[in-house]
Amino acid sequence: MPGQVLDAVQKAKAGAKAYCTNFFPVESKLQSWIDHGELFAEWQDGAVFFFRTDRDFRHFYFCADRAALEQGMMSSTGLKAGAVTTDLVGNNATLNQLLTAFEPAGFRRYTQLQRLARIGCPETGGDAPDAGFAEKADVPAVQGLIENSFDRYGEQLPLPYEIEFAVEYRQVLVVKRNGKLAGLLFFETQGLASSVRFWAVAENFRGQRVGSALMQHYFRTQAAVRRFTLWVDAHNENAIQKYRHYGYAPDGLIDHVLANRMITS
Amino acid sequence: MKSVLEILKEIRPEFDFTASRDFITDGLLDSFDMVTLVAALDKNFGISIPGTDIVPENFQDLLTIEALLAKSGAKL
Repeated sequence: MPGQVLDAVQKAKAGAKAYCTNFFPVESKLQSWIDHGELFAEWQDGAVFFFRTDRDFRHFYFCADRAALEQGMMSSTGLKAGAVTTDLVGNNATLNQLLTAFEPAGFRRYTQLQRLARIGCPETGGDAPDAGFAEKADVPAVQGLIENSFDRYGEQLPLPYEIEFAVEYRQVLVVKRNGKLAGLLFFETQGLASSVRFWAVAENFRGQRVGSALMQHYFRTQAAVRRFTLWVDAHNENAIQKYRHYGYAPDGLIDHVLANRMITS
Repeated sequence: MKSVLEILKEIRPEFDFTASRDFITDGLLDSFDMVTLVAALDKNFGISIPGTDIVPENFQDLLTIEALLAKSGAKL
């Protein structure tokens, strides 16, 4: 139950001198992970660890006193049981100290994401007649394009049921040409804030203004939003440049993704 | 000393915090903003908000944030 998970987090916080965590669960998402049998907890002295199963690996979350985190990671059975990723979000100054705690536990830096943000909705150009919300029948193609375009270890790709949910709640825009999925834009909007999770154009359709049609349609459908954010691979200059074109700029938040030795790519 | 509203406006100048009844649901603050806000409140009011209190329900609106500050020993 989400309540039990949140209670465990509270206990870890209450006993901590220097509390640290990478676990910021939204209750609905937490419930979904529990319903799908994806979330496992492991108690350590002064810490609680959570593992979320994702395809062929698990993602590691911690709620712990800093000293308990270091000790707990060394004795954790969950961390030794297979391929594991984790991520640390913050600014560089605060993260560098924490990163040193993960090396003895077998983690290495895998990739780095940076958050970009823009304020307010831009004026959008002409119509994008072939951009629209995805339908249930599009789910397999949406999943295929996401899997082919992004790194499953570094970018927390959605599972099929999460894509179905997003499609149902009109959070996936697509462009289809000749009956094929040419591109997609997967987003989450909460009140006045919206975040692009994935924006991709299929290889055969690049250079045909599919990406711009999606982005323009996205802004048009989210006209009430005041703050737009997204995470992007910090080394993907091409993607960053495209987002800059739409007014996004770094806001100082960094996400260091770490992987253990079982992940070699 | 700055007011809570002034601090919120520094962190997220694009939003009108007086027009919202629930900063979290309305998307004015996310979990990362809460951490930034706590650091700013600690510094401004000379307090240390416990980690156990960094939960969404304490950041819903100005009243809940002020209640949190009072509980943490801030002189408002």
